[in-house]
Amino acid sequence: MTLITQPPVDETPVATESTRPGNRRRIRADRVGLYGLLVIAALTAMLPLLWMLSGSLQSLTELLSNDSFLPADPQWQNYVTAWVQGDLGTYLRNSVIYTGCAVAGILIVSSLAGYALARLDFAGKGVFTVIILAVMIIPAPAMFLAQYKLLISLGLTNNPVGYVLILITSGIPMSTLIMRSFFVSQPRDLEEAAALDGAGPLRIFWSVILPLAKPGLAAVAVIQGLGAWNEYLMALVLFDDNALMPIQRGLTAFTSAETPQQQILLAATTISIVPVVIFYLMAQRHIVKGIGAGAIK
Amino acid sequence: MTTSSLSLAARRPIRAPRRKHSLRANLLGWLFLAPAIALIGIFTIVPFGQAILLSFQSWDGVSPDTPWVGLANYEFIASDPVFWASMRNVLFFGVVGFFVGNGVALAMALAVNRITRGKTFFRTVFYLPGVLSVVVVGLLFSFILAPGSGVLNRVLETIGLGGLQQNWLGDPSVALPAVAAVFVWFHWGFGFLLFLAGLQDVPKELYEAADLDGASPWAQFRYITWPHLAPVTSIVSLLTLLAALQIFGTVQVLTNGGPGYHTMVPTLAIFNEAFVNWRYGSAAAMSVVFGGALVLLSVLQLAITGRRSRA
Repeated sequence: MTLITQPPVDETPVATESTRPGNRRRIRADRVGLYGLLVIAALTAMLPLLWMLSGSLQSLTELLSNDSFLPADPQWQNYVTAWVQGDLGTYLRNSVIYTGCAVAGILIVSSLAGYALARLDFAGKGVFTVIILAVMIIPAPAMFLAQYKLLISLGLTNNPVGYVLILITSGIPMSTLIMRSFFVSQPRDLEEAAALDGAGPLRIFWSVILPLAKPGLAAVAVIQGLGAWNEYLMALVLFDDNALMPIQRGLTAFTSAETPQQQILLAATTISIVPVVIFYLMAQRHIVKGIGAGAIK
Repeated sequence: MTTSSLSLAARRPIRAPRRKHSLRANLLGWLFLAPAIALIGIFTIVPFGQAILLSFQSWDGVSPDTPWVGLANYEFIASDPVFWASMRNVLFFGVVGFFVGNGVALAMALAVNRITRGKTFFRTVFYLPGVLSVVVVGLLFSFILAPGSGVLNRVLETIGLGGLQQNWLGDPSVALPAVAAVFVWFHWGFGFLLFLAGLQDVPKELYEAADLDGASPWAQFRYITWPHLAPVTSIVSLLTLLAALQIFGTVQVLTNGGPGYHTMVPTLAIFNEAFVNWRYGSAAAMSVVFGGALVLLSVLQLAITGRRSRA
């Protein structure tokens, strides 16, 4: 697969900066250009979100007519209206429960499987690895109908258990490979010491391996947590009952059923991203690590 | 994101040496794998087989009967203008995501890699849109791109570019590029993170040596940076492409495929065929054709990457 990309931006060698004082002005100009470019990109990323924040605090007339960006008189009650009208408390609670259960399930299942692939020696290991890789290739559009049909026959539509099981299953292949690559890179000494002390395999796994695996578990949890929180397709297919919907599904239900005013909808949307943005800002270190481990190694 | 670690096996095949395993070791191994096998078996492999089966059957989504209809579903979708419009449109998303999305991601990674102050800030901000959900992005941009009161049109008016105003999502000729632009806004942060991680692994000494030899910036990029980024590039390309080709929620919330079928995409076409038109059989046939194309693409990419890394 060939890739044609734009030529690199501004590649003046940095190393000459201090050695050639005569070039200082040119370098400063480069630097200004570089930061200018970055600031424009940052604004492009941020402005839609800042507009959402600002719009959510305006009255409808101000929102539709005003040319000024900031709300003249912040309408904090928009948030109250959105919260009550949109029943956001229910949706957020559902999302927290589904995401929490999905992440817990993924961590348990994929750390067990990842450990087996990294450390245990048994017949059929290669077969399972091939199966995991094959499963990762199957795209969601090829499966969601049949998954829906399966959940109907199991009586699990409109059912949190069915939804969480689907979330867990879709997270397993990638998480297993991340955990495997994490376990492979760990020293074996502690496990061997524990085995000499007479600990059984499950005991070793639970008391020695898992506590050591915290960084790997954190990376998997962050990546899969974001994925589960933002999942939409299966939630759309599976839930008719508003009381059971996660937030993404609840937001579209709110839009189509109530046709609320724009500023209320902006407030609802803002509320829905607060948890995930806070989570992202706290955990971004793990995101970088997790994406790197999942994709590159 | 699901296909990301595929290169792992392609590069380092796991070949257990052929020897007898004790019963105990085998039991233990499979015990650890049992939960994963059970879940993948029930919720992935069975539905995958079911999807293929269903594409040869007729099902209204309710009745327990699913009569066998042979190739009728495939014949039906072969002449379905909506499905083929969706395939053409998604090709456009793929091309834009691939070239523009990856281009922006690489350019910004190179830029951030060169600065000393504010690296964390830019990294945080650039990936921020990527943590939003498809629903939020869809809702937000349906307001921004709305005709008349839409904020983009008002901004264009304010800065004196009123002539550029469009009915961004309602005009057949601009709707598809507009939705593709939203896709790029939403997704380029992921490639950016991976490119940046890749750039930080390039040994600094190589650039210092190249500087001493008087290599031009372009030569340094061409002969140092680009080769070192090759594995990252092939993975980012595949993931961006797959994300673009499977786009669903953003389009459903933004335009619902409209105006007409001008922004229809395959996943949405499959969804509508099943849950709006109640024709699950032909929806399944669509998912087999489209899913098959995606699988083929992934396998092709893996084969190419695998051969390159063995060489």
